[in-house]
Amino acid sequence: MAQGDAVTGAMNVHVVTRPAPDAGCGLAVTLPRSASVTEALLALPPERALDGATALAGWLRGELAALAAELPPGPGLSIDAWRLLSALRHPEHSSVSADDSFVPSPRICRRAVGIAAVSRCVRGWSRSPASAVAEVLAAAADDATRQQAPDPNGPPWWAAWYLQLPSGGRAAVAAEAVTWATQLFSAFEWDRFDRPPVIGGRDDWWRTAGGRLALQGRVEVRAQLDGTTAFAVVAHGWSDTYWRTRLGFPALVSLLARGERAVPGRVVGIWPASGQIRVLPVDIPILRQVADSVLAAAATLVDARLESASGAPRPRRGAGGHKPRDT
Amino acid sequence: MLDRLRGDGERPVVDPGLAGGLRDWLEVGLAERLGPLSDDRPVRVTKERLNQVLVCEAHLAASQEGPRPVTMELARGSLVDAAFRHWITVGRSDDPFVDALAALDVAGDQADVVAFVEGLHASERAQLAADVAHHAHSIASGWPLVSHRWLPRTQERIEVPLVGGRVILTAVVDLLLGAPAGERASVCLVEVKSGARRLEHRSDLLYYALLETLRTGAPPFKVATYYTASGDIDDEAVTEDLITGVLVRVLEGTVRLVRLAGGAAPVPSPNPLCAWCVGLPRCLPGQGRAGTSIPRRGRLEDGEESAHRAPPAVSVRGAG
Repeated sequence: MAQGDAVTGAMNVHVVTRPAPDAGCGLAVTLPRSASVTEALLALPPERALDGATALAGWLRGELAALAAELPPGPGLSIDAWRLLSALRHPEHSSVSADDSFVPSPRICRRAVGIAAVSRCVRGWSRSPASAVAEVLAAAADDATRQQAPDPNGPPWWAAWYLQLPSGGRAAVAAEAVTWATQLFSAFEWDRFDRPPVIGGRDDWWRTAGGRLALQGRVEVRAQLDGTTAFAVVAHGWSDTYWRTRLGFPALVSLLARGERAVPGRVVGIWPASGQIRVLPVDIPILRQVADSVLAAAATLVDARLESASGAPRPRRGAGGHKPRDT
Repeated sequence: MLDRLRGDGERPVVDPGLAGGLRDWLEVGLAERLGPLSDDRPVRVTKERLNQVLVCEAHLAASQEGPRPVTMELARGSLVDAAFRHWITVGRSDDPFVDALAALDVAGDQADVVAFVEGLHASERAQLAADVAHHAHSIASGWPLVSHRWLPRTQERIEVPLVGGRVILTAVVDLLLGAPAGERASVCLVEVKSGARRLEHRSDLLYYALLETLRTGAPPFKVATYYTASGDIDDEAVTEDLITGVLVRVLEGTVRLVRLAGGAAPVPSPNPLCAWCVGLPRCLPGQGRAGTSIPRRGRLEDGEESAHRAPPAVSVRGAG
């Protein structure tokens, strides 16, 4: 399978979505899909030169720092993949409330619970995603019950919320997590990984000086290859024209946070709802493209924050002529 | 019941060209009949909207004019769906009504149903609770615990983009059983119904089967509708003929939905359901069919005229 191809549920050679001008599209896999997707993740990337990556990172840090300096007093601005894509897709409708309140729900928790469950399955500690989810939930509830004081190594962030739910609410959390975990667990042939992959793991964070603006890079799987890594990302919905930005964003945050050596060789995106699989080789042109998108989104979000603070409408710099699109 | 859903024969071999061929058929069919589509909001196709637009475009348009009205039947259906999911996930429930209501409450996306239930008079609420308990008892009697090795997953969302994402075929499947397909089909789809058996339920299932085929590249080997009130299950082996048959229906309905989304005037198609249509006061053809301009309330009762009530198909009573 060629790099950059879209791998989808439609097998053999069938056009699935409108092709990107610079990428083959629609070359698909033969069932079983998990074998092909695993090959796509684990294949050694071609030799690449990341000449200019350090300079790109330096330039982007400076641009983001300048935007951060424009932020009005109040909470800082964190940009994750969801907020990035929202700002790119709908810059004129972007709003970043200073009091964005976080309300847990089964759908919000399913990734956190599911990732822990898949990790158990891959390590052989649980026999199925459903069993693993039950064990993860029980352990977290137990930890939360016994916790006396805040502890960074204590129960996960959702445990206290989960603990106070009635039985029907807890079952809803388990059901969402089982479905999510089953999708990730069945996406790969885990016994073909020579080295144990990191399932979930810590997000990459990069912050401007003073921490006023932060980027959060999150991936579901980090596979160790010879001399490099490959990321796998589980995404919502279906793969639209921003798929390169979606997959390239965690690679860019790795560059900013941990330097050139941390940049993965490729990122494999999985959209379970649509069955779409995308493979993004990470190189300098991709990193530049994603950096442009991040800057446009950050400008949009800063403008939204300024508008919110002043109460006066304000044009969004990320809108209009500088609307980056992947295709 | 689980033996029936899993089947005892050899599963069908997956045709590696089927999914791509189906997709090409849809893509080409939409392109030929609709021409270039705008970049406006994508048209989302659901089983409900397909059914409505194929029965009567004017009915679909009328039903979308206001917020979804919550009725006792809708609330019961949502609660029974939640009770079924609870049972499949946990395998026990001390109070199905309380558990189901808590599940809807914490999910947050059915606040209208939760508010409706909480606003009921005590006697109505007690009746609804008893109703849900009856359905939950039927579920518990008919469904043994599903082995985790079958990878049961509930309320799984499917979204299939077409024509560059301008049309999205969507579904939320109540229950999927079986690991992803390899050389042979391996997945069974189950839809849960708390109401009476209706003709469109089979079309709903085949719509799901089509979407699963497009999503994964392999059709499910079986689809089933489980009726919680009676414990009956209608199951059907999926064949390529069935899938291609439903594709024609989906294509026709999608073309109509796209045209309506583009501003075309809805075409009324008088039918036995006109008497219940919220658009009846403004629809002369419908009034001619219904004999009145005042829509009826409530649901179809046994013995009333309906184009949608279906006889039992392949049916078995769920055994405990």
